[in-house]
Amino acid sequence: MIEVVKAGMQDLVMDLGRPGYRAQGVPEGGAADVEAMILANRLVGNPDRAAVLELLLRGPTLRFPGGGRVALTGAEMQARCNGKPMPCGRTLEIPPGGELEMGQASKGLRGYLAVAGGIDSQPVLGSRATFLPSGFGGWQGRALRADDRLPFGVAGGHGKKGVISFAGCKAPLRILPGPQLAGFADAALKALTADAFNVSTDVNRLGLRLTGPALGYQGGALPSQAVLPGAIQVPPDGQPIVLGWDGPVTGGYPVIAAIIAADLSCLAQLRPDNHLRFSFVTLEEAHAAWRKRQQDMDEAIAWAA
Amino acid sequence: MSATNGRVAVSRETVLLRWLSDRGLCLATGERTVEFYRRLTASRLPGVVEVVPADGMLLLVLAPGMPMPAGLPELLDGLNGPPEMEPTMEHCIPVRFDGEDLPAIAGQAGYAEEGLIELLCSLTLGVKFLGFQPGFAYLDGLPPKLHLPRRPNPRKHVPAGSVALAGGYCGIYPLAGPGGWHLLGTTEAMLFDPAADPPARFRPGDTVKLVAT
Repeated sequence: MIEVVKAGMQDLVMDLGRPGYRAQGVPEGGAADVEAMILANRLVGNPDRAAVLELLLRGPTLRFPGGGRVALTGAEMQARCNGKPMPCGRTLEIPPGGELEMGQASKGLRGYLAVAGGIDSQPVLGSRATFLPSGFGGWQGRALRADDRLPFGVAGGHGKKGVISFAGCKAPLRILPGPQLAGFADAALKALTADAFNVSTDVNRLGLRLTGPALGYQGGALPSQAVLPGAIQVPPDGQPIVLGWDGPVTGGYPVIAAIIAADLSCLAQLRPDNHLRFSFVTLEEAHAAWRKRQQDMDEAIAWAA
Repeated sequence: MSATNGRVAVSRETVLLRWLSDRGLCLATGERTVEFYRRLTASRLPGVVEVVPADGMLLLVLAPGMPMPAGLPELLDGLNGPPEMEPTMEHCIPVRFDGEDLPAIAGQAGYAEEGLIELLCSLTLGVKFLGFQPGFAYLDGLPPKLHLPRRPNPRKHVPAGSVALAGGYCGIYPLAGPGGWHLLGTTEAMLFDPAADPPARFRPGDTVKLVAT
């Protein structure tokens, strides 16, 4: 069991999400930085899909009455176990009664804490991922609060200790042309890849609002279209919104481009005031990038003998 | 990359394929969207995680790293036979026509309020697709007089169960939240229940009758 001593800014139970319900208006959701989540699970010997905690910017303080094997990945978050600094990206044994205190992220936005056995909350629609807009899934459909007591499953796996060395995100974020790309002015297309955009303070699991050059759309009004996380929508003010993991399944704004699947984990770590750039790739390059990320993840963990 | 529109293949008739990121294939399905949605969902294409209907289009969501399913254009062409689909449902939704915007809508459309309510209850509305919120269905079948644009200033709080219209559609808000549609009334019908499977009451292809209470 995990006892929440002090909640972080927003601590959410997450897994790989709930595909299959989009036609009913329910997005897939799940961990924003899937790569960090999977690596955390592998470090503690869990299956990739086991539920973890997604910690936003400032982590919680947690007590482990019965101890536990944990790993913290993703954002570089300061963490202490019983007062001693705890390095990120490696397997750590917490003794019974141990307290894990996580602080501010110095780099990145979302940390992932896996515990061997996985967080054992009640699945809703096949997933333990928290879906805040409708308040279901995860832990009672909400972020953790002090005094919550979360059960976790029985630790399985190999019980080995590992350390991650994983190539982080390389700028720029790679994109493919969106369905309405042709409706944008040449100047907008040039600006999309030539200029830097700024991440505004309006950043959450629904989407990231960017500021930068206004992207002028010349096409007509659009009917609602189905969209995906990473789609770059342009509302009438020309300031793009990148759709997030819990964003609506349909949208009415033109989509100029969409971030490739391999780079969505990088999107998850952008924080307000970060700059970002976009660069077009081909579909073949997008698929190759996905395979490369999977391979990098398979090779990311060095196991202690 | 040049500024192409991302078009990768054209099937017969109007079914045009475009990529959305490397995980989605958009199909322009026009008036036949619900039919294609039901047929493609039933055909369980390998590599297709789910089929998502919207306004005149479908999105095939692929497993990450998956190329276009082999033979997809031919398959889409082959979907032209007579529909063989599970039956749709007809839902009767009790509505209290006490919406803030009802008088204004009646005025604009040239009806007395009672006349507008009578008209709304005489319609058979069709579920085209769901989106915006879990369980929020876009219902078509409104006469052109009731095709109104969204309100210029969305309300910050629209209560759960609000029955509203905008953009040629009628919709019911399963959850409270911000909303820009014109409010006709409210219902106590449960439209989304995450503990149920399926969680949404309405499915594309179903029909809906509003019943005044």
